Amino acid sequence: MTGDGDFLSLLPKSAFATARGDKPVAGLEATTVFAFHYADGVIVAGDHRATAGNVVFSDRIEKILELDRHSLMAIAGSPSIAIEMARTLQTAFDYYRRSQLQPMSLAAKMRALSRLLHENLPATLQGFGTVAPIFAGLDPTTGLPSIFYYDPLGAQFEGVAHAGSGSGSGSIKSVLHFLEQWGRPKPKEMTLAQAVVLANRLLMTAAEFDTATGGVDPLRNDFATIKLLGPAGVRTLAVDEQAQFWREAPL
Amino acid sequence: MTTDEPYRWLDAIANRREYIRDQLKGATPVLAWSRPEGILLFGVGTGGSKVFEIYDRQALAALGHPVDIERVRQTVIEAAHREGFTRAPEDVTLRRLLNFSLGPALKAGFEQIFSAPLMVECIFAEVGPTVATDVLARVNFDGTFRFAPHGIAVAHTDAPNEAAATEWLRSQSRDDVTLAQAARLALAVWRALTAEGQPFAAPDPAVALAAPLAVEGRTLEIALLARGGADRVRYRALTADDLA
Repeated sequence: MTGDGDFLSLLPKSAFATARGDKPVAGLEATTVFAFHYADGVIVAGDHRATAGNVVFSDRIEKILELDRHSLMAIAGSPSIAIEMARTLQTAFDYYRRSQLQPMSLAAKMRALSRLLHENLPATLQGFGTVAPIFAGLDPTTGLPSIFYYDPLGAQFEGVAHAGSGSGSGSIKSVLHFLEQWGRPKPKEMTLAQAVVLANRLLMTAAEFDTATGGVDPLRNDFATIKLLGPAGVRTLAVDEQAQFWREAPL
Repeated sequence: MTTDEPYRWLDAIANRREYIRDQLKGATPVLAWSRPEGILLFGVGTGGSKVFEIYDRQALAALGHPVDIERVRQTVIEAAHREGFTRAPEDVTLRRLLNFSLGPALKAGFEQIFSAPLMVECIFAEVGPTVATDVLARVNFDGTFRFAPHGIAVAHTDAPNEAAATEWLRSQSRDDVTLAQAARLALAVWRALTAEGQPFAAPDPAVALAAPLAVEGRTLEIALLARGGADRVRYRALTADDLA
């Protein structure tokens, strides 16, 4: 019994491998993920494609992972390590809340992700275990959601308006920047319906220029993975709801 | 070893059991009630002192020394999270936690006669897909435990009164009883069990249901392990407003 609420300190006692860079799995890479502020909170979206070199490994991967009721992680890079990081954080956040009888602060959650990324440095330097996630979290004291992005070494930066990661994120960030400057409405002023349609269109745009982005085709009822973070916490947007927004959107 | 040492050990264990029971006399009861919407856990304390979340589908209600409740709580939470992380959340079950983690630890602690005993009595609950698959376990300070077969478990320091309270709650367990009503019936049981120096007097259900859901100077600790739904975490702390 440790009593300090630090789940990561329990891991060395486990007989199983951990998500701390000791057993990286090479091969797959994934994505395009991004997040931006809309009128009611933060929207986090991602495509469904995982690639290995020039091979499309899967068009059904989920890259937006709910860590707890108040935080999300969008993964880009090596999915094997990124998904294990998300699982480690899920357990660490739950463990802290249950053992300490209070939720972990937003700052501590961000540092926990930084720590995992930093400990993944050997895999990152070897070139096959790079992870560059986006983190969206709700500050329990203010009730406001924030977006953060990380470099593969664990440094964190706040995405004041938006953030993107992955091979297709360049074009998406360019469009979001343009809309933030000259859009009517700007992304941060958009309704949920407008933001959802924009997110799908951004992924379709990215897929035009990046072979590692794909799996989003509203005409075939394939929509982005979209999760929302607002004062009430995390909500996953169903495909049916996205389809309705898409049908009703002006061309 | 001298020939009378086993008898000294038996004496020591008997004294220890008597001492713990005496120390627990002032503790107030807790209960768990398996219902269609989930498992209701109920206690009256100081806030965060009686009813606790353990894991995605598991919770604890306990009475006893706060430090000892904390030790039990931390032990089970650690075991559950290590198991859930190394295998999967679905592999975290109450039966395994009690059989292989808490039960042996409590028994070992109880039999360490030269160390301070753990003064704690508790109920563990695990919500399943249906009422029939819910698991409620009544755990004693010496590590013994039994699973409650009819969806109701009460932990109290007086065994006959505990049995009578369990039976009365079972008689009130009907499908038309709402969660808010169940909480009021639980409070009525709590009041009956904490009444001074008398055997359990069955509350009047009509009076119980009309009574306010509050105890002056104390905090109601009520939680629901919700059944179904998409949320991985089923534990919900409930306030009096939620049960109005």
